[in-house]
Amino acid sequence: MKLMTLRTLLAGAAGLALAAGLSAAPLKAETVLTVLTAGDQNMVDYVNEYLAPKFEAQNPGVKVRAAGTGPGDGGSQKIYEKLSAEAAAGAAKWDVDVAVIHQKMAGQMVQEKMLSAYVGDVKTGTLASRDSARNALGTDVTGYVLPMFHSQIALAYNPDLVKAPPKTYAELAEWVKANPKAFGYNGIKGGMSGVGFVTGWTAANIGDAARLEKGPYDAAMKPAIEKALSGLKEFNKSVTLTPGNAGTLDMLNRGEIAMGPVWVDMFYSWQADGRLNPAMKLQLIGPGMPGQPMYYAVPAKAANQEAARKFIELATSPEVQADGIVKRFNWYPGIDATYVQPKLDAQTWAKLFTDVKPDELASKGKPFPLSGYFTDIMEAYERTVAN
Amino acid sequence: MPTEAAGRPATLPRSRGGDGAPALPAARIVPDWLWGVLLVMPALAMVALFFLYPLGLSAVSAFQGRDGGWTLANVVKAFELYSLDMAFTLAIVLLSSALVAVLSVAIGGYLTLGENRLAVTLLRWLYRWPLFIPFIVAAQMMRSFLAKNGLMNNLLIGSGVIEPLQAASLLDWRGVVVTFVWKQTPFVALMVAGAMASLDRSTIEAARDLGAGRLRILGEIVVPQIRPTLTVGLILSFVTMLSVMSVPMMINPNSPTMITVDMAYRINAHGDYGVANALGFVSYAMAGLVGWFYLRHGVRQGGAR
Repeated sequence: MKLMTLRTLLAGAAGLALAAGLSAAPLKAETVLTVLTAGDQNMVDYVNEYLAPKFEAQNPGVKVRAAGTGPGDGGSQKIYEKLSAEAAAGAAKWDVDVAVIHQKMAGQMVQEKMLSAYVGDVKTGTLASRDSARNALGTDVTGYVLPMFHSQIALAYNPDLVKAPPKTYAELAEWVKANPKAFGYNGIKGGMSGVGFVTGWTAANIGDAARLEKGPYDAAMKPAIEKALSGLKEFNKSVTLTPGNAGTLDMLNRGEIAMGPVWVDMFYSWQADGRLNPAMKLQLIGPGMPGQPMYYAVPAKAANQEAARKFIELATSPEVQADGIVKRFNWYPGIDATYVQPKLDAQTWAKLFTDVKPDELASKGKPFPLSGYFTDIMEAYERTVAN
Repeated sequence: MPTEAAGRPATLPRSRGGDGAPALPAARIVPDWLWGVLLVMPALAMVALFFLYPLGLSAVSAFQGRDGGWTLANVVKAFELYSLDMAFTLAIVLLSSALVAVLSVAIGGYLTLGENRLAVTLLRWLYRWPLFIPFIVAAQMMRSFLAKNGLMNNLLIGSGVIEPLQAASLLDWRGVVVTFVWKQTPFVALMVAGAMASLDRSTIEAARDLGAGRLRILGEIVVPQIRPTLTVGLILSFVTMLSVMSVPMMINPNSPTMITVDMAYRINAHGDYGVANALGFVSYAMAGLVGWFYLRHGVRQGGAR
């Protein structure tokens, strides 16, 4: 009796599982394109809500599945760890078809031969000619990546409280001395806008800033980096440390600080959503503040190489870059702006460059330092500024 | 349909003696102690697989370089960069535990000795709500509550208690302490109040008859009797607070901060599991110390009863 019941139960469970499996599985062998993206939730939303429906409409039988791995370099680190585990396990096919990653990890993944050189095979491959399409923090990534967009760090300020915003890091230091606690940033553990501010400070104070970006890496620079950062400890005493990228914008909006470094796209998106006072303005200070692209990459053993290429082709087409990247997200386009501008109305185009003019972006928009220097700067900060 | 008897496996040996010898219970064939071991095995396997193995792995990798060789570099770096944060972590958690102790005794005490029926009912209904709120949600709430222009200061300004210029942000170490205390007090208070409720009330009544005030009864009669429960509650809170990352991350991620934030940072920004594990090791040491108190206390308590 008991055995019978058990057997019946098991059979029932198996039947149920089979039914569930059948109903969950597609009716025919559909291709599922897996997109993993580092970055904030907005990146996942962008793929799921904007790119996926477009791509699925153009390619019947293909389903796009996107997942986010979290903001900052940590998100890219997770994608790297997943692929590297699959590589170590000797998997013939990796289950990530398109990866959206940061510069630091892109360089490492190219060096470890984890990406496929797909750029020559997509029609839009020639549309991105900025340096960042070929060089990721010192590593040659030509052919392996296409920028999804560029973003830039700039100082956001409240024009009611700051009539004449500083134009350089040196002026900012003076301003902070005169206005204690009115400047806020998020240190190096609360997000990339703080990290970018610190690397910009180092470049402004190190004498030979070009070496930080162009290399080659030289460990003997460490003392110079520590010296460049030494003034930041004093500076930090008169600033407000904020909890994160969003924290800086929050505090600016509540009037608790008058100025702070933020991502330009986040700034505009928050204004568009009504989460940030529309009167706030941006200032890109000299000698320069860093920005970075996010890259589209295809893992070396991605199961659906062909679909992945098609997907990236769509995502880097001038139409999608104009409508999706610039108009929807206030990002700077990943491909050259000359291809994007004809697809946009003048108003949207102007909005992108309201505070930060194109020539300013060209002269003061810097890349992050080489990844070796980048790590040195972060550790020097912890040693000399935070301790 | 097979009957019950047919369904049962017929392989159990019924007897080892000759004909007519009484059947021995099956258990005897397997020694009693083995049954005990078998029963404990699943639990032990879980502990070994999900606790001891990762613990060992992390301890080992704290002393391994990126090339796999043995090294002390991770530990040296952890102390060089984060010794301030270690002290900060310990200070925050100890201070929070102390405040939790005071508040939970106060709540438990009022529930036991309070005379205003309405107030007692209200408190009993109210005090445990933070238990149901995750740390991460609590941190987010505190972010808008404790900020300079946050709800708390707006209330104080609105009711004329402080001037707008006096408003200060509590989003630093104080914010972390406030969140921890707010979140952990109900947990300890729940245990303490339960222990207080189960006390023999005759001692309390006797003290009251002799004219002792409520505060004195609480301090000299009630608390000494529930001290074991209080200690256990505080130790569990200590370890919980030591492991929380969301609260310092969201309220005070800048230096000094708690070592959970540093661990996350080493892994996320640098992929540096070595230093993160070395920091984890420091965290084990702190938890281990109170764990030792807990066990010592538990053994003594078990022995007394």
